[in-house]
Amino acid sequence: MATGADQVVGMSLVLFSLLLFSYYTVWVIVLPFVDSDHLLHRYFLPREYSVILPGIAAVVLLLCIGAFTVVVVWKNRKPKKVD
Amino acid sequence: MTKLLQWLLGVSLLGIIWAVIAFDLLELSVPGTYREVAWSMPLYLLVSFGCYSLATVGYRVATFNDCDEAARELQEQIKEAKEDLRKKGLKI
Repeated sequence: MATGADQVVGMSLVLFSLLLFSYYTVWVIVLPFVDSDHLLHRYFLPREYSVILPGIAAVVLLLCIGAFTVVVVWKNRKPKKVD
Repeated sequence: MTKLLQWLLGVSLLGIIWAVIAFDLLELSVPGTYREVAWSMPLYLLVSFGCYSLATVGYRVATFNDCDEAARELQEQIKEAKEDLRKKGLKI
C-alpha cells in the first residue's frame, strides 16, 4: 500500500470528486423536480450558475495549461547559431 | 466500418435524440422540467466524467504500492546517466 502523504492526497481527491459529483447531480437533476418553496433550494445557487461555473473552471484550466506551455517553451528557447 | 465511423455514428445519434428532446423539434410535448434536465445533459455528463477521472487518479495514487527497491535502483541509474552525460559535455 502507498504510505503517508500519498494516501492522504489520493483519498482527499476521491472525497472531493464524490462531493462535487453529488452536489452537481442534486443541483442539475433533482432540483427541477422539487417545489420552488422547498427548503432544499436555499442550499443551491440559481440554476444559471450550474452552467457558468463549469464554464469558468474550463477557461481557467485552459489558461493554466497555456501559461505552463509558454513558460516551458520560453525557458528552452535557444538563440540561432550564426555560421 | 472503422472505429472512427462507429463513434461518429453513435455520437450523432445521441446528439439528435438530445436535440429533439431538449429543443422540442418534433413537438412531442415532453413536460417542461424533463426538457430542462435533458438540455443540461451534455454538460452534466462532462462534469461527471471529470469527477470520475479525478476520483480514479486519486484512488490509484492512494493504493499504488511503494516499491523501495525499484526506487533505489532508479536513483542509481539516474546518477549513472548524469555522470555519463557530463563526461560527454552536457551541462545539467
